[in-house]
Amino acid sequence: MMIKKISAVLVLVSALSACGPAPYWTLADDTSKSARSKSFEMIVPEGWNRTTVAEKFERHSIGGGAWFRNIPLERMTTSRDGWAIQAITATRRNLETAFPNIDKKATATMLPGEAADLYVADLRKSSGLERLKVLNNIPATVNNKPGFQLVMEYKNDDGLRIRIATHGFVDKTGFYTISYRAPVLYYYARDYADYAKLVRTFRQLNGA
Amino acid sequence: MNRILGIALISFLFSGCATTDGASSFTSASDTSGLKANEDRLWHEADIFDATIVRSGQIYNDRRATDYLQGVMDRLYPEFKGKIRVRLHDTTHLGAFALPNGSVYFNIGLLARMENEAQLATVLGHEAAHFIERHNFRQRVSVKNASTFAVSGIPFVSLAAFSSISGFSRDLEREADQRGYDRLIKSGYNPHESHKAFQILADEIKAVGGREPYFFSSHPKLIERIETYKELSAKHKNSGRVGTEEFNRIVQPIRLEVLRKDVGQDRFKSVILVMENEDMRRYYPIAGYYYLGEAYLRRNKADDAQKALQAFQTAAKLAPNFAPTYKSLGMHYMKAGNRGPALDNFNKYLSLAPDDAQDRPYVQQYVSSLK
Repeated sequence: MMIKKISAVLVLVSALSACGPAPYWTLADDTSKSARSKSFEMIVPEGWNRTTVAEKFERHSIGGGAWFRNIPLERMTTSRDGWAIQAITATRRNLETAFPNIDKKATATMLPGEAADLYVADLRKSSGLERLKVLNNIPATVNNKPGFQLVMEYKNDDGLRIRIATHGFVDKTGFYTISYRAPVLYYYARDYADYAKLVRTFRQLNGA
Repeated sequence: MNRILGIALISFLFSGCATTDGASSFTSASDTSGLKANEDRLWHEADIFDATIVRSGQIYNDRRATDYLQGVMDRLYPEFKGKIRVRLHDTTHLGAFALPNGSVYFNIGLLARMENEAQLATVLGHEAAHFIERHNFRQRVSVKNASTFAVSGIPFVSLAAFSSISGFSRDLEREADQRGYDRLIKSGYNPHESHKAFQILADEIKAVGGREPYFFSSHPKLIERIETYKELSAKHKNSGRVGTEEFNRIVQPIRLEVLRKDVGQDRFKSVILVMENEDMRRYYPIAGYYYLGEAYLRRNKADDAQKALQAFQTAAKLAPNFAPTYKSLGMHYMKAGNRGPALDNFNKYLSLAPDDAQDRPYVQQYVSSLK
């Protein structure tokens, strides 16, 4: 009996120790405006909400079927009015799983334009984004590294035009993107300056 | 999606019995007013589906091509003119489907693969038969699934799934084959082109595999389609309207657009399937070699870089004014450390590409880095 109890406690302790702190949302103000993950950090504009802990996995359907796999990543999200309205997400993906929907790897020597093309192809494989249009795709400097700047757009089922701006770059530590998504109607233009400001504050950390 | 399918399953389990209430074929456009109660709701959901497709930008706006397809449909079923409405669906997946309200959606991916009007008419005739014979209603009622009509959101998914090529039961598909074939003959088309339309779909499944949205549901059903049309056409002479010239004049620009979209969505297998096949390639614009090269690069097998180079060189030779080829050639030489040829090709790209070409800023950056 005693052995059974000890085993049960061990299982419980083991299960609990595997869990990290659960992410929750907090308002970014003077004291908590830095969103920090293991490998990157950014300053969230005042008045926006941010997640407190980076997501570590993303579920991906295998071959579009019913089976899923967990893709490791680091992702922090911020939003001003709610995630469904607008969001800025900063993500680091491992080079091997940089483009999970098309099952392609990134390489540290990849040109920014090539990374941008694969990023768009990967997005278009996502549900509902097949007709994603690229409005602009230009070279950019992100975190003092050569990268890309994309502006894309799609219509949702309600006919609402949703625009996505993405800055990205690749280095030996992974594929980094900072994406801003909002409806063209009212929100995109209103909050773009906050996004641009956030991109300028993005920097890698030693944990990368 | 899983949640929706789950709700559909629950709805299916709890649905009551229903009968077909003797639903017979529509005989003309004016005959479609007396709908059964559940069928009326089905039409309503189909109307919502139509509106959503339009609103969400899924219609491929090519007036000339759309009018052409509508013309073929009206030739097949003149008594339903104004009731059966054909639209081009902006997706490169191979497929077509008819809704219970008479809307027929033809994917540009499938259109690009067809060779002539007779093949197009085969698929249109088959799809319109599903509407005229009220297959969507009959199939749903026969599986006692009528109550799912009322569940918000369900028809949206299931309408397309039920309505796609080979999405119906074997008997209903056979009926659509027969009705469509009869109209093909009556309208003067060469019946010996009919099975080829479905052979294209079978070839795609074999080459590409995997799951495709709104796709024909299973390969065996497709093989049965091909066999049925072969059997039917064996009874008729190999003569009649084929309509190759006009069809290809209208579809040619769409083919290049489909290749561009396929590469942009990483559907490189489809591009390689088409452009490596001499019989299919002859229907495609010469600039298609550029997309073949890009598809090889995306596939990235052992000798694909060399194959891509050959494809780009062929494109440059046969379509010398097609700018994107020179960007790809420039990148090839730049990566290989051949500065001179890289600069030559990038400069050629810059001279040919329009001022607002999306790749221009990157190419200008490459040129600066090479100088």
